[in-house]
Amino acid sequence: MKKTLSILLAMAVLLLAGQVWAQSSIVVAQDDSPRMMNPHGDDSDAGLQYFANFFDGLLQRKGPDGVLAPALAVKWERQDALNWKFWLRKGVTFHNGNPFTAEDVKFTFERLSNPEVSEFVNAGKSIDSITIHDDYTLTIKTKEPIPWFINNLHQTFIMDKEDTTARDPGDVMVRPMGTGAYKFVEWVKGSYVKMEANENYWEGAPPIKNVEIRPITESSTRFAALVSGQVGMLTGVPVELYDQIKKNNQLEIVSRPARRSIFLALANTPGTPMADMRVRQAIYMAINEDEIIEKVMRGQASPAAQIPDQPTIGYVADLKRLPYNPDKAKQLLKEAGYEKGFAITLSGPNDRYIQDAKIIEAVAKYLAKIGITVTLDAKPKSIFFPEVNQGKLAFYLIGWFDGTFDMGRTYAKLAHSRDKERGFGELNGAGYSDSAIDGLIESTAVMLDAKAREKALQDLNKMAMVDKIIWIPLHYQMDVYAVRKDSKLAFQPRPDRWMVYKELSLK
Amino acid sequence: MLTYITRRFLQGIAVLLAVSMICFFIFQFMGDPVVRMAGLYATFEEQAEVRRVFGLDRPIHERYVRFVWNALQGNFGKSYVSRVPALNLILERFPATFELAVCALCIAFTSGLGLGVLVSLKPYALRNRFIMALSLGGISLPTFLTGILLIMIFSVFWNILPSFGRGDAVQLGFWRTGLLTQDGLKHLILPSLTLASYQLAVLLRLTRAGMREVLTQEYIKTAWAKGLPPRIVVLKHALRNVMIPVVTITGLQFGELLAFSIVTETIYQWPGMGNLLLTSIYENDQPVIVTYIMLAAAIIITLNMVVDILYALLNPKIRYD
Repeated sequence: MKKTLSILLAMAVLLLAGQVWAQSSIVVAQDDSPRMMNPHGDDSDAGLQYFANFFDGLLQRKGPDGVLAPALAVKWERQDALNWKFWLRKGVTFHNGNPFTAEDVKFTFERLSNPEVSEFVNAGKSIDSITIHDDYTLTIKTKEPIPWFINNLHQTFIMDKEDTTARDPGDVMVRPMGTGAYKFVEWVKGSYVKMEANENYWEGAPPIKNVEIRPITESSTRFAALVSGQVGMLTGVPVELYDQIKKNNQLEIVSRPARRSIFLALANTPGTPMADMRVRQAIYMAINEDEIIEKVMRGQASPAAQIPDQPTIGYVADLKRLPYNPDKAKQLLKEAGYEKGFAITLSGPNDRYIQDAKIIEAVAKYLAKIGITVTLDAKPKSIFFPEVNQGKLAFYLIGWFDGTFDMGRTYAKLAHSRDKERGFGELNGAGYSDSAIDGLIESTAVMLDAKAREKALQDLNKMAMVDKIIWIPLHYQMDVYAVRKDSKLAFQPRPDRWMVYKELSLK
Repeated sequence: MLTYITRRFLQGIAVLLAVSMICFFIFQFMGDPVVRMAGLYATFEEQAEVRRVFGLDRPIHERYVRFVWNALQGNFGKSYVSRVPALNLILERFPATFELAVCALCIAFTSGLGLGVLVSLKPYALRNRFIMALSLGGISLPTFLTGILLIMIFSVFWNILPSFGRGDAVQLGFWRTGLLTQDGLKHLILPSLTLASYQLAVLLRLTRAGMREVLTQEYIKTAWAKGLPPRIVVLKHALRNVMIPVVTITGLQFGELLAFSIVTETIYQWPGMGNLLLTSIYENDQPVIVTYIMLAAAIIITLNMVVDILYALLNPKIRYD
């Protein structure tokens, strides 16, 4: 009798435990699937967001504002232009029980420069040396002064030296071993990623104990999975399904302005029409951005007057878009001597940004109204981006946001004249070149005083947007998520669009 | 027979070489993978280093010869995107695609043949005309539409079948199967119906046409006149003679189902090879694409050969020597 009772009791406990387990489990459909589980092998936000759950960086960015905060480093200090000293958190262990020490940090940063396992080659190669003072302090010395060095450390995830070197390299690609808030359970490629809470997490165990991520790339299938209740929430609501989700009273839309801005880049090759400022202004004024947002983006975007977004260093609050004015645009063209217009090719990806190909179609129509004949050239991103890299294009659409929250790096890559020797302008696809802009970009890199540097970046931004119109900004995208009301999920989107599950909880 | 098989085998190798050569030729126009592999912020110098490390700085013909040489030793190179061997990546996905294709083929073959025979017996009955009209729909509706309609009806409106994925799967050695759990079987229904719909309609129409032709022949009339039971006349005397084209098409279709179930797999987020191929094309993952295409070609060549051999078994009059 006693035995039966204890069995019954045990069963009841199990049942209750099961319920608790069930309550703190979530299934989420994400619009992008992981490529690998090696935290240095994918530098896209789509990949980094997976790693951020299994690993920690020296620093982290806290949602929903993306403020830089301590993670595996408790304190840091820029000692001079090149040297950065870190004090590491004590008592942190990897999921396999190994202690976290300065050796792991050194190993991680050295691994970055190996192209066979890393897409952060640039970050890796910018480091000159790493000196370990003791188990919990070290200094990283960079080759050149990098003002934004610290701002990007939330993307460099620390691996366990002992574990990584002992395992087969193929295994390291598919099974993550970090210090993060979640332990890796299983990844069936193309099906799901499962993870469970790390109860010993240094920040305290995360509230949701079991997370199952279902990457579903096809948007209508993702929608069906949410409506039928197979998943509790989804990321990446496509604009065409927005109204349907809004109407469904079981679902709730969560959205926030994305950091990414969409803009047009134009060449200024001497002798071409676009070298003339009046032509650049005319193109800018001919585009009816409000209509693009309303018709093409279905309201899911906000107009941009510059490339950086508000929290980025270099953002200028009082910049305004040039007003939409096709008559003025025509007049400007006339003054510049292009009364009859000219012909140009507008390129852009067709599988990268929200409605990308539709946006350039719209731009082509606006330009036709002021007499500019546009040939459209929309192509897959795998072909488009190499062409940007080769500097082959004259006029194209691209989107950007910088994970560092600092425009310095972006300007050096996208706006500086292409310079193979010194490593500038790799993504300046139109080969835009202006010595004043180049000079300002180079001067900001060596400024140590943060205030002065911010001022310089703002001046640079103003010059680029107003005096030179090096780009024509269009809009900031909107990140849209949908949550089932019965899932009781409390969710606040992050500016970088990462899904960091330790930040989620249940109501 | 043996010389025939050897000849077909050699032809197969030539086809594989041609297919891989075409892939390499096309890759030249697919964009430079190095830009992605070196990372967003890499300098030109760093990109050049990545190019060297992966041997992409060599001329295309040299890369091709090296690829063939390595492939002969079973090494198809590493994926640019996930940095693991391309062949493993594909084979890992094979069970899912295979189970889906087999289920779809079973549905298509049994229903197609059964309905085809049924329809041919009374071609003008109302019910049979209705079946024919449906089969026309099966042929003309594109797979993605069939898939989305099925999801709408069974997952969104009625909510009785899952809309995506493979459900609970069981690992048996290297094979991960969804056939052993109830959940896994439930997940199979919609995708295999979608995949089968076109093939079913084709087989139905083929069987019906063949049956109608055979049923008018003299020997069938003789068989009826002898007073043989309908079962014997229809199944033994008539159907057997219709089977040759049906088996041919079924065999060829199986290869296609296996190699090109891309659309169905994408709609249902089925973790199979087709889904992988599509992602790899988006990501310009050249080693995976070429390995997949070669594997698909190898499967289709083998199946053609099997069909030819089945011919000989079905119809002893066929000789290959």
